[in-house]
Amino acid sequence: MDPFAVLGLDENADDEAVRAAYLHALRLAPPDRDPEGFRRIREAYEALRDVESRLTLRLFGPAPLNDLNELLEAFPAERHYVGPGPWLQALQGRSR
Amino acid sequence: MSKRRQAQRPSRRTRQPSGLDVATWRRRIESLLTQDKSREAVEAAKQCLKECPGVEAEELAIQAYTARILSLQAHGMHQEAQALGSIVRERFPAYQSQFALLLQPSGLATGDVEALLTELATAEPARQRELERRLASTLTDPAMVAHTAVLPDAHPLKGMARAVSEMFTAVTSGPLPAGALVALDAIPRQSLFAPWKLLIRALDAFYRHDDAAVLANLERIPAETVPARLAPALRRLMPPDDSPAVPVPAVAALIEQVGGPRSLVRTQLAQLTQALTARDGRKALAAVRSMLPSFQSAPAALRRTFLASLFHLWYRYNLSPEQLLKLLPSGHSDPDILRLIALTLEHLEWAFALQAWDRYLTSATATGQLASTGPEIARVLLHMAQLFPPDREAVLDTLELDSEQQLHRQIRSGRLPACFDRPALLERARAADPVAQVFRALVAHYEQWGDPKRAEAEAEAWHRAHPQDLEPVLYVLRATERRGAIRKALNCLAEAIDRVHPEVRQSRFRLLLAGAERRIKEGKLALALDDLRRLEQETRASEGDYPAYLLALRWLAALPGSDMAVPQAEAFANGVANPVLQSLILEALGATLKVAIPPLPKANPSHEQVLDGLARACTLFRALDRPLPVPAALLKRAEQHLEQASTAQLHALCTGGLWLERPALTYHAAGHGLGRTDPLGYRFLLARGQALAACQAYEAQDRARSCLRAARELASRARDMEAVRDASTALDTFEGLDMFRAMFGRPLEPDTEASMSQEEIAQIIAQERSRRGTPQFPATAARRKTRRTARRRPGFGLPDELFEDLFSFMPFERPF
Repeated sequence: MDPFAVLGLDENADDEAVRAAYLHALRLAPPDRDPEGFRRIREAYEALRDVESRLTLRLFGPAPLNDLNELLEAFPAERHYVGPGPWLQALQGRSR
Repeated sequence: MSKRRQAQRPSRRTRQPSGLDVATWRRRIESLLTQDKSREAVEAAKQCLKECPGVEAEELAIQAYTARILSLQAHGMHQEAQALGSIVRERFPAYQSQFALLLQPSGLATGDVEALLTELATAEPARQRELERRLASTLTDPAMVAHTAVLPDAHPLKGMARAVSEMFTAVTSGPLPAGALVALDAIPRQSLFAPWKLLIRALDAFYRHDDAAVLANLERIPAETVPARLAPALRRLMPPDDSPAVPVPAVAALIEQVGGPRSLVRTQLAQLTQALTARDGRKALAAVRSMLPSFQSAPAALRRTFLASLFHLWYRYNLSPEQLLKLLPSGHSDPDILRLIALTLEHLEWAFALQAWDRYLTSATATGQLASTGPEIARVLLHMAQLFPPDREAVLDTLELDSEQQLHRQIRSGRLPACFDRPALLERARAADPVAQVFRALVAHYEQWGDPKRAEAEAEAWHRAHPQDLEPVLYVLRATERRGAIRKALNCLAEAIDRVHPEVRQSRFRLLLAGAERRIKEGKLALALDDLRRLEQETRASEGDYPAYLLALRWLAALPGSDMAVPQAEAFANGVANPVLQSLILEALGATLKVAIPPLPKANPSHEQVLDGLARACTLFRALDRPLPVPAALLKRAEQHLEQASTAQLHALCTGGLWLERPALTYHAAGHGLGRTDPLGYRFLLARGQALAACQAYEAQDRARSCLRAARELASRARDMEAVRDASTALDTFEGLDMFRAMFGRPLEPDTEASMSQEEIAQIIAQERSRRGTPQFPATAARRKTRRTARRRPGFGLPDELFEDLFSFMPFERPF
């Protein structure tokens, strides 16, 4: 969704940094093994590959989402160890 | 109410005696119980006990208290039930055991399993099973059984409870080592702790991200047992986590702690979407308020996407943006918020969007987020200009104006914001960043808005700013053609053709030059002078030594003995200061054009002048593709004094020597060049190799091959592809000879495609530098041509020496 996040770049990245990040991301998600990931990486690269593209994104982006649930992509599902307490409280129907 | 009046008011508790008998009270209490009004029934029973004390009243009270406790338990108010129960047990000691049994579920729910375990410790097997079933559906923490003093430590239930409690703590606190769950294998399937075993296995699989195993274990947990209550929470923590149900607070808290912010955000997004769809501004604002903390701490890009989407949906559902802006921490003062609002408004009405962008510009430049000049502000201004409808009438209609004049009047008077002046926006953009994109928009604007003169002027300004761009030239060509300015249009056409490809310009120069030369040869000197005048307008005419050549032509074109001849002669002499160059140019023109050369003053050129003149002549005539006859004495003199040549002259002489088919000149010039420090030193190595390739001797050929390979390697490193190509072309001529070398016991040379090491290259350069002798170069081109014809033998086309060697040991005579 956010091309900078997809390539793991800072918003001030220059052409060289964008290209290096793109090549690095390709190694992790080659098209034959991860077609969907490759598509996202390619789209991100096309959005950031030169100064004009980055300028356009900065001034006239991001495109709004029609479905807000797409924002969930930015919140990865985590699995934290929290000890027995919260689990037992849920069993007992008690909050903190 | 004042305290005095409160004191005067009769208390609810202090009731007057009703005078009712027990039977009437019974009917009243039973009626209340039937209506599920246990609290009122208790109050009535207490009143009855006070007014009509006795066994019957006591029984009624017990009945009411029992119903009340059951009611509290049904609502999950176990602590309240226990508190009431302890009062009743104290008040009615005869009913202690009855109430103890009644309060057992409350005890379990609030952690008090002691009573149940006390009974379980001594119960009959059937009763034990029943009590275990109750425990299974009410025990919320195995540690209660694990640490009870009621059961002995060796009791199997206590052992199992301990194992389950420890494993539950371990699996929720960190990764389990391999085989850790083996400790639970001893718990039998029918045990009340079997569901806990399955829950622990499910949790272990959850943290190992083995979602299939999680689901498999959850499905085996009986639904009526306590561990089954965690199944929905675990399912929600795994993908696809799209359950629409809103969890109870305790479960929501668990999900948030274990799963991170994702689940909470998902619930909040669902609430927001629901509120927006229902156009409920209040609920939507509440949802946004709850979500803001999650997004405030998120990366800037995510925050922007969220806000852009929020504004977009807010406007789409016609909700008032004012309250929303008040919620946002920076609100109106944040330029980025203003920018997002402007982008949102573009979907609605261009005029609103334009003003929003204007507010953004003002805010962003004031805060320094946007520089007052440069590509960024230019793009914004260009974007604002592009918001205008293409049709001028549509603009006037939107603003409810009758004419452009009225529009400008209103802008000048301040009734309309200045941002509605489209050309002003574009001119600001041009001032900020005069790139082709902006010029194009300006030209299009004036073209669309009926001002072609202004459009043409802008195109010409564009051409001046970007002379390499073809587009403005073509525009001016069309514009001038439209208004009948044909001459100007033709000039534009010529310029446009020039810009198509540099070869076009070079070809025109050559054609004009050839035309002038032909006219001189034909004696049409006036026409030749015309051509020369046109030639002098060409850009190339002032490059390098072209002026010298043109001056020579002009001199030749001046009528012999005419008034023009002397001035032209002087111009030539002054323009070409080097007498060697003068002589070479005139001699070459005389031979080519077959005209008489005017006599030149006698000169005794220095070595420097010889080298300079020869180098420049080679460069000039190579570029002109004209033959250059050079006296042998001049060549020899140049070869003997090459140490006085500059590096640039050596390069020119290397190339010139090959072009003149004088490899000796190239050989010597390259030798001197190799002794210099020059970033293009590999070109001397290349020239050396090319010169040596002309020699027939084996040793020269070997040296040539080595030099060419080394030159190619160095050129490749320097990315000089032209030199790489030249070296490869020269090396290709060596391949046919390898086979015959092998016949004479000479090892085949290493593959010419293999790269060379730096040591090998340095050795080759050192060897070439140390060479003192001059190889035997072949005779001139004319003689070589003859030899080539005579040497046409069947098969090979090999050097003579090789054939002599081949046949020297054969017993029969040579067939030819």
